[in-house]
Amino acid sequence: MTLIRPLAAAALALAFAAPAAAEPVRYRLLPDHSFVHFEVRHFGTSTSRGRFGPVDGEVTLDRTARSGQLGLRIRTATVDTGVRVFDSRLREPDLLGVEAWPEAYFVASRFEFDAAGGVSAVRGEFTLRGIGQPLTLVAERFGCRSEPAAGGTPAREVCGGEFVADVLRSAFGATFGLPFIADRVRLRVQVEAERL
Amino acid sequence: MPVHGAIAAALLAAAAVPSLAQAPAAPATPADTPELPRYTIDPTHTAVTFEAVHRGVSISRGRWTRTEGDIAFDRAAGRGRVAIAIQIGSLSTGSKAFDAWLLGPAAFDAAQHPTARFEATDFAFDAAARKPVRIAGTLTVRGQGHPVTLTTTLFDCYTSPLFRREVCGGDFEAEIDPRRWLPAAALAAAAVPERVKLLVQIEGVRQ
Repeated sequence: MTLIRPLAAAALALAFAAPAAAEPVRYRLLPDHSFVHFEVRHFGTSTSRGRFGPVDGEVTLDRTARSGQLGLRIRTATVDTGVRVFDSRLREPDLLGVEAWPEAYFVASRFEFDAAGGVSAVRGEFTLRGIGQPLTLVAERFGCRSEPAAGGTPAREVCGGEFVADVLRSAFGATFGLPFIADRVRLRVQVEAERL
Repeated sequence: MPVHGAIAAALLAAAAVPSLAQAPAAPATPADTPELPRYTIDPTHTAVTFEAVHRGVSISRGRWTRTEGDIAFDRAAGRGRVAIAIQIGSLSTGSKAFDAWLLGPAAFDAAQHPTARFEATDFAFDAAARKPVRIAGTLTVRGQGHPVTLTTTLFDCYTSPLFRREVCGGDFEAEIDPRRWLPAAALAAAAVPERVKLLVQIEGVRQ
């Protein structure tokens, strides 16, 4: 993890016991590396998987102020399990309801940072089928990389992470198949975003 | 639900893996042991997912969902065998560019090697729980076979209301070094991760 600059800034802030100057930095999600994967138990026996995406959105991180904002947009029709009949079934009104609710969102403005200055959790609201519920994404991985310019791409900073959260689909009205297809769905969010 | 008997028989014939002495005091049995209960893989609940760390910060995932095969096991006797074929072309990561690169000659070379196989006859059972805990076999990709051991993270059997038969299955995982399966030219062409996690979902319908 190359977080030397923000750590130095944070150290200076502490040393002088003065309020840290806000340094919000905006990042835009990279579509090839931003997806929401989901896992759900089937008859308590095996785990079925699928994903939504690419997911788009923007993140603002202010590591000196230890704050951030995030808006993710998920096009629900992008659901993809690798089994076409499942995808079609999932799009129907008693599950994703993609006609009535073509987008799901995760919006957050409560960021938690660890001692190294990396994001450790993001607390916000997840909206699916038009219903909003509080949701906290816990970071399993997070880091930022400075990529040198190469082959036509300019130098840039990319921050990314791997986040996990469990939801109860019944809380969003997606009730088909209970209990044989579990209520609890694990979301695994892969995000990579480039600095704007 | 089509019975994949002919395909299963062909896979087993190709396996030619001698049975290891998992059943004490029993004579070595041929790989195709008629008395083990047989299960045909339900392809809609069987998939292989890979996870690889990307840029050191996030996890790239892809999955293969066209599978077919055959499992036979006897929980009481503590023996089993499995032969699964995976269609490499069914790979999907969500990124068309990444799919194309992975299916190309630098990685899976799907044009030359359209099928991967996992074959095993070495099942370690938890006798009390009557569940397989480890399945040691051979994973063949790009025509290269190397040992891989799947560890069970979930296993159960249930009566399917759809098939009106017993279905057994579970979640299994393994960590592999993908470089073992790649020729030198592919290793030189791009940075290949040293560690990739394989997450395998399997469900089989009793025959």
